[in-house]
Amino acid sequence: MVLLQVDHISKHYEKDKPVLSDISLHVQQGEFISIIGPSGAGKSTFLRCINRMIDISSGEIHFDGTNMMALNKRNLRKNRTKIGMIFQHYNLVSRLTVIENVLHGRLGYKSTFQGVLSLFKEEEKREAFHLLEKLGMAEHAYKRCDQLSGGQKQRVGIARALIQSPKLLLCDEPIASLDPSSSKIIMDHLKEISTEMNITCIVNLHQVDVAKKYSDRIIGLNAGEIVYNGAPKDLLEREIREIYGANAAHLMMK
Amino acid sequence: MTIAKDHHVPRFKQTNAGKIKIKTWGKRQVVMFTTFLALFLLTVYGFLTFDYKGISFVQAVTDTIYNVKVMFFQPAMSHFTFGEALGQVGVTIGLGILSTIIGAIISLFLALFAAKNLSSKTVSSAIIIVITFIRAVPTVLWVLIFAIAAGLGSEAVIIGMTFHSIAFLVKAYSEAFEEIDEGVLEALRAGGANWWHIVTHAVIPSTTSSLLSWTFLRFETNFTVAVAMGAAAGAGGIGFELLMASNFYFDLREVGFITYLILIVAIAFELLSTQLKKRFLSGTSMS
Repeated sequence: MVLLQVDHISKHYEKDKPVLSDISLHVQQGEFISIIGPSGAGKSTFLRCINRMIDISSGEIHFDGTNMMALNKRNLRKNRTKIGMIFQHYNLVSRLTVIENVLHGRLGYKSTFQGVLSLFKEEEKREAFHLLEKLGMAEHAYKRCDQLSGGQKQRVGIARALIQSPKLLLCDEPIASLDPSSSKIIMDHLKEISTEMNITCIVNLHQVDVAKKYSDRIIGLNAGEIVYNGAPKDLLEREIREIYGANAAHLMMK
Repeated sequence: MTIAKDHHVPRFKQTNAGKIKIKTWGKRQVVMFTTFLALFLLTVYGFLTFDYKGISFVQAVTDTIYNVKVMFFQPAMSHFTFGEALGQVGVTIGLGILSTIIGAIISLFLALFAAKNLSSKTVSSAIIIVITFIRAVPTVLWVLIFAIAAGLGSEAVIIGMTFHSIAFLVKAYSEAFEEIDEGVLEALRAGGANWWHIVTHAVIPSTTSSLLSWTFLRFETNFTVAVAMGAAAGAGGIGFELLMASNFYFDLREVGFITYLILIVAIAFELLSTQLKKRFLSGTSMS
């Protein structure tokens, strides 16, 4: 089943300077996709176009049977709850506790009144603890987020995205600020989420080897265009050079 | 030395004597220098042409020193008891607290709309322009303006001080809001949270400590302003007693006593605010 259908989208802030040009992509439910490419290729912009954090200049995006471009503000909010997002810098409210941050993921389902007064249902709280348990973070539930390590913060970020009960996870360089062992934990969790919970993951990555290890499919982006779209095993030296440009010989890779 | 290579074009400037200059005379320096020179000459001219009206300079200085001595070394009460004095200080503190609290509540909402990352550009600029205007006019003037409608007294003082507090706090609060990590707001927005959710769950929690310390700072200011307003606008309190002692009874000892009392209270607030800062801001950076 096609979950996300991106057709010929373009984005430019200034004329003649496209950040994304004519990108089309069909994503199946439960698929794990990595997007690789040099800095400034438009990876982050592309992810944010999918949940309309950034509005595209032209093209169409269909997600879970709805035309994302036609949504008004209220329905956009409703649809965003079905798309979780994970960030390089975790973007947690550091003065609040872990559990409070996780419950922020439920705000999309709340009215203004319920949200402002933090009226969360018991089952939502139970689900939050359940998710933290699953991610190995239950013992830290009442700690303030500024006391956590990077890997722990990212797991809170994942819990916050999962409590939305999303169909799609957008991960914007989730391991770019993490050490190798934390990176592995995070990537393993993401992989597990896509296989066991059947949630589609689209992950921006800088590490080609990580992308090859975890992905079902790899997208190569260069200067706002898709230059590679295929299986990890077909991603060889020549393709990598095409994605990263002439300097690929200097790429630090195994 | 690699510098020697392109030595044929000296980069440094030299004085006539051949020494290397380390300062150059730009437009800025010329303006600064002329201004200082003009001010200096005016000051000298002023002193030479004063009309002293027959006051002996030496006499004036000794008298002033005597007055200061009486004021600060022999403070005493003559028109009220210590309890009454404390009561009057309480009235002044009350003026300060009331105007700070009303101001803080209104400012909180206005500041949300004045912060550029939370509001639209037009609304934010509009608020900031109005606020800047209000802040540019001194508190005393606002009090006198409101006295037209409310009459001289504590009502006008509270309204005027609240008005100026709002102008100050909106700026302070909105700048605190603007320093919030944009990513946090993005994360909540991406999860479907609306504006009020973001304000209550991310903006306020992240800025509580700096909001509190700005508010307390404003309270300290409002206390001292309330002293002056008690005298100038008849709001009562210790400021009014000060006015009576100095202008009505010419009781220098009482002036000295009241000054010490105000000083002690001000120092107490200062200590309290440092303690509060230590307690609430320790461990977390006040970014």
